[in-house]
Amino acid sequence: MKASGTDMNCEDYRVSIAADPSESFDAAAAHVAACVSCSAYKAEILALDAIIEKALHIDVPELKLPELSPLANDENVVNLPFRRAARLSASSWIGIAATFALAAVIGWQFTGNGTEQDRLLAAQVLAHVDHEPWALKVTDVAVSEAQFTRVINPGIGTMDRGIGLVSYAQTCIINGMNIPHLVIQGEKGPITLLLMPNEWVSAPVALSGESVNGVILPVGDGSIAIIGAREERIEELKKRVVDSVEWSI
Amino acid sequence: MNSRNADLQRRQRFDRVVSVLHKDLYRYAAWLCRDPGIAEEVVQEALLRAWKSLDALREDGAAKSWLLTIVRRENARYFERKRLETVDIDNLTPSQSAMLAETEDPNVADMRQAMYQLEDDYREPLVLQVLLGHTTREIAELIGIKQGAVLTRLHRARIKLKEAVEKEAAA
Repeated sequence: MKASGTDMNCEDYRVSIAADPSESFDAAAAHVAACVSCSAYKAEILALDAIIEKALHIDVPELKLPELSPLANDENVVNLPFRRAARLSASSWIGIAATFALAAVIGWQFTGNGTEQDRLLAAQVLAHVDHEPWALKVTDVAVSEAQFTRVINPGIGTMDRGIGLVSYAQTCIINGMNIPHLVIQGEKGPITLLLMPNEWVSAPVALSGESVNGVILPVGDGSIAIIGAREERIEELKKRVVDSVEWSI
Repeated sequence: MNSRNADLQRRQRFDRVVSVLHKDLYRYAAWLCRDPGIAEEVVQEALLRAWKSLDALREDGAAKSWLLTIVRRENARYFERKRLETVDIDNLTPSQSAMLAETEDPNVADMRQAMYQLEDDYREPLVLQVLLGHTTREIAELIGIKQGAVLTRLHRARIKLKEAVEKEAAA
């Protein structure tokens, strides 16, 4: 039954209040103000919640911190081999990079049957790549070992640098967490890698655009986004990238 | 800043975050695994992992959901390693029984037992909402399911608990 002057019926209200007693859903206040029966039901749910809360407050033992050893110095933790990717001519690189950078800012899509969380993460990944187009520079100059180890630090894990020429390495933010943003030089242009040890996806999330393609892969409890030019053979790259990374968390 | 000062600051930051959130982490772990002994192990292991990756936490304000995620994963790892059987309410270990220790309020005792017997899928979102103050959206993100599914589970959880405690009271 709908309470006078409201759009919500009693059944909807009761289902909603039992799911979220904070009454954050639309039209709740108007309904309960006009419906005596639902007002009583709300009081019943709030009383139930008060008991649930007390029941959940079990005794907590004294905090015993585990032995926390200082982290090793970066140079002792990451000691990776270096291998250059195949080189293209400068002119072909520039053309590819321009196409890639343009594609990055015009309408990407992600596909698949992932969860809402997967889609939210994909949207953040795409937005982030769009906001750092300068990272997609075509070059044969690798970032320094010091810069690489600053970004792939012991808090994140380790990465075998032999996956290709790493031309960009910065710490960026996804979902409030610092994550390594790398660019390696692929066969068809720059390839973005976002290493996200704290962002889990339920299944691979495909990302596609007019001139680019990519994927977010579940890796352990985290995920890795790989985004390259349309012609880039991402499939071949997937295993190499996944095998090269080991999370510390 | 020299490395010793950096280590000290890192440790101070860790202690600050953990001291504020320790109770929440423990209770969350305990209600996930329904065993205080295991919960302590899970939290210890989670804190070690958190320590190693503390630099990935940009803002302390995000520490709660970050640490809860680590505890959740560590709990899953623990049960993967140990392959424990499901809990039999009539045959509890002393550690498990401690969670159901009598309280002065019989209503709370009945509710605690009902919570203990509630299926994992219903118990976890309720703990996150009632005990830890998460919104349904935050719960969806942490568990990795849709917000609509969270709402359904929360509704069913409360109905199940309500029925269980009413049945207990009538007995």
